[in-house]
Formats: sequence, C-alpha cells, structure tokens
Amino acid sequence: MKIDKKIIKELSDYLDEFNLTEIEYSENNVKYKVSKSNKGIVHEQIISNDNQSRPSSTATTITSENINKANIIKSPMVGTAYLAPEPGAKPFVTVGANIKKGQTIIIIEAMKTMNHVPSTKDGVVKKILVTDGEAVEFDQDLILVE
Amino acid sequence: MIKKILIANRGEIAVRVIRACKELEIATVAVHSTADNESMHVRLADESICIGSQKAQDSYLNIPSLISAIEITGADAVHPGYGFLSENYKFAEILEQHKVKFIGPSSELIRKMGDKIEAKKIAKSLGLPIVSGSETGIKDISEAIKISKQIGFPILIKAAGGGGGKGMRIVHSEDKLEENIKIAQTEAKKFFNNEEVFIEKFFENPRHIEVQILSDGKDNTVHLGERDCSVQRRYQKIIEESPCPVISDEQRKYLLDVSVNAISKLGYEGAGTLEFIYDKGKFYFLEMNTRLQVEHPVTEEVTGIDLVKRQIEIASTGKLSLQQKDITFFGHAIECRINAEDPSKDFLPSAGTIKTYNQPSGPGTRVDSCVFQGCKIPPYYDSLVAKLICHGKDRTSAISRLKRSLDEFVIEGVSSTIDLHKKILRNEDFISSKYDVNWLSKTKFY
Repeated sequence: MKIDKKIIKELSDYLDEFNLTEIEYSENNVKYKVSKSNKGIVHEQIISNDNQSRPSSTATTITSENINKANIIKSPMVGTAYLAPEPGAKPFVTVGANIKKGQTIIIIEAMKTMNHVPSTKDGVVKKILVTDGEAVEFDQDLILVE
Repeated sequence: MIKKILIANRGEIAVRVIRACKELEIATVAVHSTADNESMHVRLADESICIGSQKAQDSYLNIPSLISAIEITGADAVHPGYGFLSENYKFAEILEQHKVKFIGPSSELIRKMGDKIEAKKIAKSLGLPIVSGSETGIKDISEAIKISKQIGFPILIKAAGGGGGKGMRIVHSEDKLEENIKIAQTEAKKFFNNEEVFIEKFFENPRHIEVQILSDGKDNTVHLGERDCSVQRRYQKIIEESPCPVISDEQRKYLLDVSVNAISKLGYEGAGTLEFIYDKGKFYFLEMNTRLQVEHPVTEEVTGIDLVKRQIEIASTGKLSLQQKDITFFGHAIECRINAEDPSKDFLPSAGTIKTYNQPSGPGTRVDSCVFQGCKIPPYYDSLVAKLICHGKDRTSAISRLKRSLDEFVIEGVSSTIDLHKKILRNEDFISSKYDVNWLSKTKFY
C-alpha cells in the first residue's frame, strides 16, 4: 500500500491552521490520523479492517508492521512513563522477557503520584513502544506482548 | 507598602491569591509553565510570565527562573501559595537577601519547622503537648529498642526531613525494629537527602485537628478556630470542617489557648497552622505548616475573615490590625476537595480536557476553582481542580447545602471525586461524625 504524503501534509497544515491537536480523515477504506504530541507532529496511519490496525507508537515514525491490537498493553492514563523504578535501576521489563498478568511493566507519573501499570496478559515482550521519561496519553500503546 | 505581588504558584490557589490582590488593588504577576499557558491564573493576573517547561522542577520549583521573573516584572513581594516552594527556606532566604518580601514567616522559622525533630523540640519548649518518643535522631539500635519499650509498641519511625507519608514505617514488635529503621533511613536519604529518623508512639485511629493562627510576630497573635481534617486518603485530606464536631468547648479552649500562647513566643510572622493528633481525649502536636492551607476557606466562612488579605496586611505593614476579641464564629463550614481522580479505581489520576463544566452556586455555597469548560487538566501537577465549601447555621445545614451543591456540580471529560463526596455525605458514620484518619480507606464506597 502506498502512503499518500500529500494527504498527511494537508492534514498537518490544518492542525496548525485551526489550532487542533488531532485530526482524522478516511478515504477509500484508509484512515489517516494526524496528531500533535510534545515531540512534534505524529503521523499515524491506521488501516481499519477486521480489528487489525497499525498503531504507531513512537512519535514521528510510521510503522508498517501488522500488529494485533489484542497484544498491546495500553496506558490507563495520561502522564510521564518510566521504564524503571528509579533512575539508573533495572527496567521493569525487557524485550524477550516473560511477563505475567498483574506484573508491573511501567510506572506512569501523573498528578504527583507514581502509578504502577500492571500487565494485562501473560506473554513474551516483543517490543517496548515508549521511551523512558516520555509523555504518554490515555490509551497509548505501551508494550507489545506475544 | 506592597504594590505588586508575584504569585509563585498555579491552579486554584494562584487564582485565590489574585482575587485578594485585586480587591486590595495590588498589581499581580502570574508565573506559569508551558503546560499552563492558558490557565485561569494566567488569564486573571495583570501580567504573566512563562518560567519554564511543563516539569515542575523546571518551572514552579525553578528558583533562578522565579527570581528572574521577579526582576523583570518589578514585583516587590512573592506569595508562595501552598506546595511548591511555599515551605522552601532557601527560596525565602534568597528573597530576603534581595529585599523582596516573602509573604510568610522568616526563612529561619521555615527551616526550623521543616525539620520535624527541631520542630518537636521547639513545640515542647513552647509548652505544646507532644507525642512521646525520641527527641533526637536515632543513633543506634539499642537506643531505638529502649525508647520503643518505654513508649510501647506499635511505634512509628519518621524521617526528620519528611512529609506526605514518605519514609514512615509502623513497627509492631521489637524483632522488626532494626530492619525497619534501616529501610526508613534508606528511604529518608533517597527522598529527603537526610537519613535522620526518629521514633514516635503510633496512634491506631486518631483524628487530625489543626489550629489556624495569624501573627504579626511582635505583640499580636490570634487564632481563628480549629479544623477537623480527618477524612483522608493516602495521608491526604479530602474533606475538612470547622468547627471540629467532636471536641467539647473546654477541650477547644485548651487547644486554642495553648496554640496562641506558643506562637506568640515564637516571633512568627503571617498565617500558620498547628497540626495535632487527637486521640482518646488528648491532643499531640504533629507539625506546623508555615503557609496558607488548602482548607483555609472553611475558616474564612465561619469567621468572615479573608486570610489571604490578612497575610498581605502583615507582610505589607508588619502589623495585624485584627484583635482576638473581634473574631467571632458563626455556624459550620465543610469543604469537599474536587480532584481529577477516579475514586472507583483507587483514585487513579484523570488528566484531560474538561468538556462540560457547571459550577454550583446559591446561598452558602462557595467554589474556589481554576477550571472552566474546555480547559485542560495537565498530568504534571496536583489533581485538585476545585474546592466546594458550604456554610450553614449548623453542621446539618452545611451537609444539606453540600449535597444540594454537589448535585449541581457537573464535570465531564475527566473523572472527579464529586460522586464520592455525594456518598460520603450520605454515610451514617460521617453524618454522626464517627470518623478518624483511617475511616475513608476502611469504608467501602465502590
């Protein structure tokens, strides 16, 4: 599938013009979602068919791999994500690690509280989709588990 | 005389201070982080200045930025609000050195009261009742065992530089003492950069009662009654009321007299609060907050006195014109803290955009808030978004007003504690004042 850069460019311009943080547009079964994060502009493309979609989680990149949403642990809140209990400490999870449901995978700092985010499933960590200290939104993809 | 005040804070308290300044015709400067560009305090102040990025360390806690903002705007005084730098003696000290008035006590008293061991020593010397325990930092385990046996288990290990429940450990028996002291010291070092810990008697289910003081630090110290702040979650207050519904007039007189007497000997300038534990009919000094409290409006409602204006008066003139005999108390006031949190999910923080907002009003209802429809609640700061304060001729009518006001209160887009307050105010234990600091966490509302 080809990505239409023109559409993304046009949508990005609208973000600034109308002072929006996010815009979604569908055309011929392809949905484009462009949103701003504090890291600049996120270009995210989502294909909507059969529960399969393509989240792009790291800002400013467009991912092309097919990821089943069911295997993604999402952020329960907006805040700042930390991968380890304290600076310099061992991270909660690493790629390839076996994790159990209920185990802390990330801490999200929000409103002066440190919130432990538990894994919602058992599995092996395939990919960590956020970086330490990154601002995350509600429902943002955090970790890909298989 | 103070002509221009810089408010080194954000949120509802910054708005509260701006309101007092406007009524006194004093110019205001708001400072803000990049996350607060469009916040209410920025909109209401005469001038505003961005002092850093969203992280509090880079903005609201950034002393060099704040000093620059003071220089640029020519503010001659700073109101610190509560939280952030309000009890940071170094900030107060720098302002003193630069001849900018810090609206609060001297940096020296802030420093002494911020050290819990030092504060306890001072409290004892001023004749305040204190909790039994070690009067200095714990040096070795044999000393800790001796003190713990004297006062009896359970005991509480606390950090000298602590606060907010951090670095505290409850120990029920001697065999667990050594291990817990070590953990407490490590935590204290990590959180407060001071590993000193001390031991106190632990109270299982006390109430938290505090006394509001105003003093010019010279010859006039007055009290404005007490507040009961026992409805708490995670050591944080969620409902406060004045007067305390469970103490007798005789107990109240003792508490208020002992507090005024102590502070009058301290040379303390400004508003301050003495916090006490109340257990089995007795009061024990816990700590002194050398600043305005979140819950100050309940006192303002029962006395009709504007505490922020009095703070400014003392800072501006060095005098407090208010005399104890002129302070009268009427009725009962209760405050409900409206936090952007989901009480059904263990108070999970809920930042986001407020889509619908309707604020209650009508007789006896006051809302101190900083939010409006369409505003963003950033995840970087405290979750408090509004305080609902209702006043009535007695406690029953204050509760009725709160229930009525909570029904009018609509916040959509983020979760809030409105629904929890509706449940608390209908709970038999709350209605009959049978609550203590652990009551809320032990009571199931969801």
